[in-house]
Amino acid sequence: MPTIGLIANPVSARDIRRIIANASNLQIADRVNIVMRVLTAAHSLGVERVLVMPDNGGIRALLQRHLSRGHSQHQKWPVVEYLDMEPTSTVEDTFQAARLMHAAGVAAIVVLGGDGTHRAVVRECRSIPIAGLSTGTNNAFPEMRESTITGMAVALYATGRLSAAQALAPNKLLDVSINEGAQRDIALVDAVISTDRYIGARALWKPEALSAAYLTFADPQAIGLSAIGGLLQPVGRRDPGGLAVQLGHHPQPAALRLLAPIAPGMVRPVAIAHWQAMPADQPFAVLQQGGVVALDGERELAFDAGDRVQITLRENAFPTVDVARCMQIAACEGLLRLPSTP
Amino acid sequence: MAGNPFPLDKPALLEAYRRMRTIREFEERLHVDFSRGDIPGFVHLYAGEEAAGVGIIGQLGDGDRIASTHRGHGHCIAKGVDPMAMMKEIYGKKGGSCGGKGGSMHIADLSKGMMGANGILGAGAPLACGAALAAKYRKKGEIAVTFVGDGASNQGTFLESLNLAAVWNLPVIFVVENNGYAESTSRDYGVAVDSYVDRAAGFGLPGVTVDGTDFFAVHEAAGEIIQRARTGGGPALLECKMVRFHGHFEGDAQTYRASGELDDIRANHDCLKKFAAAVTGAGVVGADELASIDRAVLDLIELAVVQAKAAPLPTAADLTTDVYVSY
Repeated sequence: MPTIGLIANPVSARDIRRIIANASNLQIADRVNIVMRVLTAAHSLGVERVLVMPDNGGIRALLQRHLSRGHSQHQKWPVVEYLDMEPTSTVEDTFQAARLMHAAGVAAIVVLGGDGTHRAVVRECRSIPIAGLSTGTNNAFPEMRESTITGMAVALYATGRLSAAQALAPNKLLDVSINEGAQRDIALVDAVISTDRYIGARALWKPEALSAAYLTFADPQAIGLSAIGGLLQPVGRRDPGGLAVQLGHHPQPAALRLLAPIAPGMVRPVAIAHWQAMPADQPFAVLQQGGVVALDGERELAFDAGDRVQITLRENAFPTVDVARCMQIAACEGLLRLPSTP
Repeated sequence: MAGNPFPLDKPALLEAYRRMRTIREFEERLHVDFSRGDIPGFVHLYAGEEAAGVGIIGQLGDGDRIASTHRGHGHCIAKGVDPMAMMKEIYGKKGGSCGGKGGSMHIADLSKGMMGANGILGAGAPLACGAALAAKYRKKGEIAVTFVGDGASNQGTFLESLNLAAVWNLPVIFVVENNGYAESTSRDYGVAVDSYVDRAAGFGLPGVTVDGTDFFAVHEAAGEIIQRARTGGGPALLECKMVRFHGHFEGDAQTYRASGELDDIRANHDCLKKFAAAVTGAGVVGADELASIDRAVLDLIELAVVQAKAAPLPTAADLTTDVYVSY
């Protein structure tokens, strides 16, 4: 039975950037509408079962209200099953859901969230392809895309109409290690070193506190800290290697200042010391003594002076469903053409 | 160790801890004394929620006003109300914050900007809007903060206040203290769209959700929101996700909780433990310094109880005092 997973984070896009930068707030009701469109689109193309992460943040409750109304002439959806887990309303839910979906053997996981949510899924499960839908604040990794189309692309792969070679694309990530792996984590887009020493409200928005940024890809159109690299020396999502940028707090004097959209609504000058390509599998040692490593826009790992922090870029680290290519192939190969008479 | 990594200097860190510890011990002592039958009326304890109260209120001045809830002891202590007078008030004795005539749910001290705990759920929000309107006219950069639980946020008064604050661009902050239970009803049962930030958005206010058990998360988010309100940026909502160590009221058997839930939140979600681990782990504050505060706070609470028990009851003549204000 073609089965996909669905992880929708109810608490993405809720942080302090709503106050300081007018960042958007995708409401729970809209997130559930997005989920419903994924479900109905996937069902239209033959997905029969969807495993959904339960939550206590309102998505499950509202989704149940929709589903309990039963199918209508306009809307039909697959069997929806919630994972057998007790929500904690923390990122642990996403970790556990990814593990359970891996164990259940889903063909792909649709993820609703920002860069941080996608990072959490990949951290626990690097083998199952994910299809990201942007509902967070910093959305460099997931695409802004109509969820109906994402649901269709995932269904084309999950039902075997498209092979892995056709439907999937490889992605890079950053391995972050403190003291030779005593602490480990990953970032999908950016690992940024801040002079802050506490996690606090998690977001980063003060350029004067940044000392270095390590980027898997750097898109000039991106929002968030990866935009710094994107506007210095763009690196494509599928290009080999990444970019390492030393910022104003680096001991070297600033070589230039750059205006960059470091958060939604915040275009700020950032002092740049120097930048260099970041080849795969080559560890980069963080020079700053004591601080915080922010992963995909959120302060996560505090480290002390004397701790050894290393960042290493990995290629072909995990697959995503390449929605644009799926739909292109579907069009070229006529996969969605039906017989002229029903 | 490269200096203090926190956004507060060491004296301010110690003061934040002292206030949180004072709230904790005040409440834990009331828990014991209430079970002995020493205390008249009902008490609703704030233990477990200290980081939210102190993280927010610790950044306010006496000119800033707060409107509290039925679970108001923590807000009072955070705002600087004298715990000795509070204890007398709760014991119903002369010398209490309100002459011993108000009790737990009506402690107020206008000299500290504490407009009062409130036995009526959701009633603080309109009062804070009034205080914020006054502050707006006075133009001194003062603000008002109101607290509401996740349950009381369903009250019409609260929702009307969000609208009024947005329409008049009032310097008021709505803090939703989300401890997961409306009295005994899990929010899953009582709220259709379980996002308080979404509610604010519906009225045109920005909203933020933080981990209410993390003092530094609350402090940083609240600091931005407070500064915004002081400088004419208008109202905002701050949702603090938090845990309640005790029942809705003292005597609540808490049969609605999951098995092991209380043990888990005390072990893993204790805001005081988190704060202590952070500041000692960073080497900014010594464990002995915190232990010294702990001892001093216990002595203070013991003294407060001794004095409260020894204080006289209000007399019949006291009934008619403090009722009317002369203009």
